Amino acid sequence: MTYAVTALDGLAFGLLLFTVAAGLSLIFGVLDILNLAHGSLYLAGAYCAYLFSDGSLAGLAAALAVGGLAGAAAGIVLAAVTRPLTRYGHLAHALATLGIAFLAADAFTTVFGGAPLPADPPDALAGSVRLGVHGYPVYRLAFIAVAAVIAIAVHLIITRTRAGALVRATVNDPAMAAATGVPTGLVQTAAVAGGAVLAVTGGVLGAPLLGPAPGVDTTVLVLSLIVVVIGGAGSIPGTLAGALLVGQVQTLGALAAPTTAPFTLCAVLLLVLTLRPRQAVRPI
Amino acid sequence: MTCTRAADTAPALPGKATHWWAASRLVVAAAVLAAIALPAVVDAYTVSIANTALVMAVLTISTHLLANVAGLPSLGQAAYLGVGAYTAALLGAASLTAGPLLLVAAAAAGAVASALTAPLLLRTRGTAFLMTTFAVAELARTTASLWADVTGGDDGRHAAPVALWSGGPLLAADGHVYLYLLSVFLLLAVAMAVLLRSRLADMVRGFADHEPRLQGLGYRSGGILLAWLTIAGAVAGLAGGMLAAAHQYVSPADLSLDVSALALLAAAIGIGSMRGAVAGAVLVVAVRDLVGVHTAGHALALLGLTFLAVAYQQPLRARLHTIRSRR
Repeated sequence: MTYAVTALDGLAFGLLLFTVAAGLSLIFGVLDILNLAHGSLYLAGAYCAYLFSDGSLAGLAAALAVGGLAGAAAGIVLAAVTRPLTRYGHLAHALATLGIAFLAADAFTTVFGGAPLPADPPDALAGSVRLGVHGYPVYRLAFIAVAAVIAIAVHLIITRTRAGALVRATVNDPAMAAATGVPTGLVQTAAVAGGAVLAVTGGVLGAPLLGPAPGVDTTVLVLSLIVVVIGGAGSIPGTLAGALLVGQVQTLGALAAPTTAPFTLCAVLLLVLTLRPRQAVRPI
Repeated sequence: MTCTRAADTAPALPGKATHWWAASRLVVAAAVLAAIALPAVVDAYTVSIANTALVMAVLTISTHLLANVAGLPSLGQAAYLGVGAYTAALLGAASLTAGPLLLVAAAAAGAVASALTAPLLLRTRGTAFLMTTFAVAELARTTASLWADVTGGDDGRHAAPVALWSGGPLLAADGHVYLYLLSVFLLLAVAMAVLLRSRLADMVRGFADHEPRLQGLGYRSGGILLAWLTIAGAVAGLAGGMLAAAHQYVSPADLSLDVSALALLAAAIGIGSMRGAVAGAVLVVAVRDLVGVHTAGHALALLGLTFLAVAYQQPLRARLHTIRSRR
């Protein structure tokens, strides 16, 4: 039973990673940019949750609204900042997004200080329910439900809607898409904004699980990158599978074998890299 | 990314190019003389920062070999630096005092670690390579942080002071350690200058620019790039050995993203040349450790702006070039 409850924790953590990593994967797929400032977007969402958490559901809704708008704005800025670098390769993109991450980290520490801050769930979701002999936080169950809805929505938007078709066309062959009248620049900006909104939303909803503190940006970025590397960059179903795997490895591994848990994640990553065919990029 | 740069190969052009080449040699000679004279003219604190700059310069050379020569931007060279540093610290704890021997062991450990991970990393190119090196390096950092029996965990590990030869006097003063590290750096710089003029380097540059075409001609990139990654790993391991000698302390923070990122930044500042990369490493450490302390704790923001400035140097130069050619 303990394992089942921990697996539930792993599911929550995995879905949290999916929400962030799906954004990373989307930005990578559409612009071929590794957004190293993605962890900063999560942290921005988490600080947003801290600022607006007043114990009411309205506070959470306000945090989501403000965070969503800020995320969309950040995504538009990110797309604009990286556009002039398109012809100058991966190194220029990596340096620019790292620069933004460093500036963001400095700004967060200046405004919020160097200590971890609390971001409590709303009172309506604060208690716990009984699962057999164990108590389980209601917020985590609610989070799992909401994150599952987000995962399904992202999948449906990409595969079933016209917007998703435009994104897929832009990913697969930007030149051909542009020739057939797709406004590729607009699609790319919208996709980056969407990816940023996903990361910030992950931060707002995930704050009670992985709260705002300096360094959380790097932690989230690293775990999302591992998820994307495992799942195959640019693939949303792959990202979901990778996120759920990493979530379970991190939580079940910590329970079953606390001393070797970090090596387990290492082993999983190396195994995936060994077994997977060359070149990690797959279309969405 | 274009990888063949004039500064890595001696230009044999007449006229203006020869003047430029002579001038750049003079600048390098002046820089070397200034570096040798440094401990005599500055305080101990600046010398200790110069030690850090030398370590960063060697790590940057390792990153330069990958990012600028092979077209494989790595965000994970600090992992091999860590392997080298912990190797030197562990051997030092086992009463091995001969500094050069420790450096050779550190470089060998870096090479082995890099050779083991290279086949996995080489399954990717471009952004995926960047991503994978980063993920592997972060796992190395986590391992260093949690494998407390060997690495001392987050508390880090003390590294004993070194001597020039076994049983010789220990290099205690910062100035002596600095001159020792500077000699190692100069030897490495000469070795790298030779390496970058070799056929192996030409092949690597060829794969960076036209991998499918070379493969079509029957060349196999696997073995050549594996050798190149191993050499880069050895250089990063050497940087780790130097770090253990300079700071006499190794911790998981030495393997962090920041360290790899700064090396990548320094390599990019060099715009493809090794000496530019070294100058970039000195600049980056100066910004972080000398200028940063005067900005009321905003060294991170200063570095962030440096990252952005370096990222935009190429588009800005291209724009300036267009404006000039229109006139």
